[in-house]
Amino acid sequence: MIPQFEYYKPKLLEELRKCLGEFKNGTRILAGGTDIVPGFIQESKRFSSINHLIDINAIADLKKIKIDDGFVQIGSAVTFSDIITNEIVLKNCPLLAKAAQTVGSVQIRNKATIVGNFVNNAPCADSVPPLLIYNAEIKIISSSGERVVTLGEFLLNPYETQLKTDECVTEILIPIPSHNYFGDFYKLGRRSAVSISRISLAFLLLPEDGKIKELRIASGAITPIGKRFYEIEKAFIEKEISSDTFKKIAIMLGEKNLETTGLRWSTAYKLPVVQQLLYQLLERNVNGTK
Amino acid sequence: MNNSFNIIGQSVIRQDALEKVTGKAKFADDYNEPGQLYGVMVRVPTVHAVIKEIDYSEILGDSSQVIIIDSNDIKGLKKVGPIRQDQPIFAYDKVVTPGDVVVMLVGKSEFELKSLVKKVKVKYTELHVLSDTSKSLEPDAPIIHPQYEDNLIVHYPLRKGDVEKGFQDSDFIHEEAYSTQFIEHAYLEPEAALAIPLEGDKGIKIIGSIQNPFTARKVVAQVLDWPLTKVRIVQAELGGSFGGKDDSMNIMAARAAVAAIKTGKPVKIHYTREESILESYKRHPYKMKYKVGCKKDGKIIAMKIDILADGGAYASQSPFVTWRSVVQATGPYEVENVWTDVRAVYTNNPYTGAMRGFGSPQIIFAQESIMDEIAIKLGLTPEEIRKINGFKSGSITASGQKLENHDVNLFKVLDKAIEETNFVSKWKEYGKNRSNSFQLDKISESNAERLIIKKKDFIRPNDLLRKGIGLSISYRGCSLGAEGIDAAAAYLSVQNDGSAYLLSGLAENGQGLRTTFSIIAAEVLGISTDKIYYLETDTGLVPDSGPTVASRSTLMGGGAVKSAAEIIIRRLEDVLTKEWNLKINSEINFKNEYVYTKDNPDRRISFKELCLLAYQKGIILAAMGWYKGPDVNWDEHTGQGSAYFTYVYGCQVAEVTVNMATGQIYIDKITAVHDPGKVINLLGAEGQVYGGVTQGAGYGIWEQITTDSGNIRELNLDQYLIPTSKDLKEIKPIFIEGKDSFGAWGAKSLGEPTLELTSAAIANAVRNATGKRFYNLPINLEEVLLRRKLFPTDLKRGSA
Repeated sequence: MIPQFEYYKPKLLEELRKCLGEFKNGTRILAGGTDIVPGFIQESKRFSSINHLIDINAIADLKKIKIDDGFVQIGSAVTFSDIITNEIVLKNCPLLAKAAQTVGSVQIRNKATIVGNFVNNAPCADSVPPLLIYNAEIKIISSSGERVVTLGEFLLNPYETQLKTDECVTEILIPIPSHNYFGDFYKLGRRSAVSISRISLAFLLLPEDGKIKELRIASGAITPIGKRFYEIEKAFIEKEISSDTFKKIAIMLGEKNLETTGLRWSTAYKLPVVQQLLYQLLERNVNGTK
Repeated sequence: MNNSFNIIGQSVIRQDALEKVTGKAKFADDYNEPGQLYGVMVRVPTVHAVIKEIDYSEILGDSSQVIIIDSNDIKGLKKVGPIRQDQPIFAYDKVVTPGDVVVMLVGKSEFELKSLVKKVKVKYTELHVLSDTSKSLEPDAPIIHPQYEDNLIVHYPLRKGDVEKGFQDSDFIHEEAYSTQFIEHAYLEPEAALAIPLEGDKGIKIIGSIQNPFTARKVVAQVLDWPLTKVRIVQAELGGSFGGKDDSMNIMAARAAVAAIKTGKPVKIHYTREESILESYKRHPYKMKYKVGCKKDGKIIAMKIDILADGGAYASQSPFVTWRSVVQATGPYEVENVWTDVRAVYTNNPYTGAMRGFGSPQIIFAQESIMDEIAIKLGLTPEEIRKINGFKSGSITASGQKLENHDVNLFKVLDKAIEETNFVSKWKEYGKNRSNSFQLDKISESNAERLIIKKKDFIRPNDLLRKGIGLSISYRGCSLGAEGIDAAAAYLSVQNDGSAYLLSGLAENGQGLRTTFSIIAAEVLGISTDKIYYLETDTGLVPDSGPTVASRSTLMGGGAVKSAAEIIIRRLEDVLTKEWNLKINSEINFKNEYVYTKDNPDRRISFKELCLLAYQKGIILAAMGWYKGPDVNWDEHTGQGSAYFTYVYGCQVAEVTVNMATGQIYIDKITAVHDPGKVINLLGAEGQVYGGVTQGAGYGIWEQITTDSGNIRELNLDQYLIPTSKDLKEIKPIFIEGKDSFGAWGAKSLGEPTLELTSAAIANAVRNATGKRFYNLPINLEEVLLRRKLFPTDLKRGSA
């Protein structure tokens, strides 16, 4: 059953700040609603205590995708459909657009927002791995001010973030990559569309003289929340770009993954597959470039 | 009738297409009556229990004006069922599966009723849960229904020849075991019914998402203990059924009716998706053991088949579903010596009943997988092994029936599919040089360190994607066969302006029946289909024509429509013969809205004028057509007899790509070659193929209802995954129109054949691609890599 709640739809950021200051407990931001509405129907405890719902879709500033000060800025009311065809995103962070294409169905992508995707912080959130490898930061406002944190810091536990009840995420800030990285995003679902990720992987690799100058790897759905693998990234700097190196990277991902999650019901499938997948992705996208 | 058709065989857009795509069609839940009440179900959180007491005191003490309906309100039958009457309208003695309903709360506010559900206190004693069919017949198994001595629902033996001698004479024996899963129909529209008490003791009218209006009428009348005539069932537009809106809808209609009679007000029941999946019946899981005796040249001379079907908590259609299996279990092959046993047993699982395919998808998966394995063993191609053993005209089936009086087109559909797909060369090419692939079968928790891949085990990128091709063939008995009475009616009433009302006793379940029947009537009358007005399905207006099942509508109902139209044609011919002073039995043609004699086509009268003329002469232009199938016979003890009066034949070829790292199966193309007899509406026939193949692929790769301690895990479509349009790249329907004397111009069956072949063709294609045979459907990601399924350790869903 849908709980009783007050509904607000501010048109300006200032009104939003005011709402955030007034209601506090039991306040939730409504962007796409694709997690909240089914959550109501499922009587999810995460949503049953909501008494104020603030719809941010009428705030024009939050609908924008722009470049400012070396950052790609994506507003918190921007939907997946909006970014799939956006030139700025396609040029500067194509893997985010690629991940966006794999989310749900056309109808869901038309409603669901990228920010809502990681604020919900499901283990399988498809926006998280690409945002993590692009070193995305999050701008958060409250009635009293604003702050910027990295996405890695922002995400705490499954379905849990740093966001306080008097706060609202307003923007994603992605530093424009300074080089032409090789990279890819892969989502493994049980079917080709309207599918929840079993495994998602994103990586960026910068080569220099046949060696790895920089490596970034992130995954979704195989760890409790989407995760960057900094240890692996560091371990392979200056290593030769070769099939052998790719295998070692993939094996280390397997080891780190097992360390993080231990044995779960799905490990027998997911663990070997994530190693194969990363290896295949590296071969497909990087090899031949050394 | 001459051979050149006006409309038959062309592509006709279905009558309800526009209203459905524009959202104007009215489905059951779109109907509302002033002052209507709602019915909300009360279930008990147990799988198997004896009900001790139902305590309503918390609700009765409440100020709410809720009305309680339970089995005490039922005057007639408290338990119903198509064969065994074992399923309660409201459970009163036992709960045997979690979908069981003990009480219905009725009132004005659904919201309020739902909040009261927890206040019904049911005291019960839990019993041991029986979920494994292999334990159902053990002596210490809990008896699900104490009125029967054991959990056996039905056992069909089939005995032909001497199977032991057959094995002795064989050059080798091939034995394999296969299993299939529970399947949810997953119709887009969940169940809904609205019961309206009629004023002046006229009975009750029920509008619902009902597949079989006459069956629903029978059940409601039995439950109310009323004559059939006082129960009128009106079918709303149906949002999919696939065999799934039968028993469960009859029961829902009966609950609404009981409440409507008790309250004197209209009562609506409509289910959420979760309730729908929880309570509705599924397709039977089968455990199948096949032992095949073969000569060196590939000739099969003996087959021993043992099949155990999970009937779940209620018998429902199990006796009929498994009967089709016993008839067709050997596949379309001549086998001299056959020994088959098919049993259906009770468990506490969701009950199983009719679903598109009806006992054939399971056995085709097994038997067609085995045929390929035998071919591979002998160095034959899939085509060759099937040609050596396949049915030809005059072949004798496992039940001893001679295939005659129709085109036995098995080789024709096979040849066409082979030629169309360049099958043989692809099959040989793809099956070559299968290097040792990524094997995860042997790893378990005890050697988890092996889950970290060795360098040598990484798949070479150029070996990541492997192509495969596979085929399957089938024969299928049309309509009900020896299951029961097989006849249908159609009412046609031509008006004096040349337009006509049409109504059949079979129902539009989304398959396009109204359009097909309108085409048949229009073809006979020589008018266009837009002159036919198809009436609303209402049990008060047309004779009971049996259920709309078994791919029988076009065959049986089409025959009835044609018969009705021909009665009217004969009357119009009489009128014209007198009016024009023609010789008796002059050949008169009805074509393109005109009527003329063959001898003098220049002298014409419009159909419209002729109808007016007949009307003025006092001739009745309304008729009831009736079509009855020829008699068939069956011996229950030996499994011998002429099971069905005619058969259809099909062959499907699947072309797939398998991702060897992930176990993903991509379906590149399905070529579906079917002989449905005469095609009436080409567009409708193609639609059947697209839908059936997609559902068949879902059966093969994705779909599965599973239970955890008796409770269903997949209660909504986020977890129960049906294929999307992106999951099948290309489906190519091809029709070979075999001649038959039955039905309308030999139009037979297509709906179920399209589904039954697909999973077997996919399994054979995956075998061709990977070198691995898969024995357990669905062949999902884990099955491909691990040869087993993995399930979550709890029933938690997402963040909930």
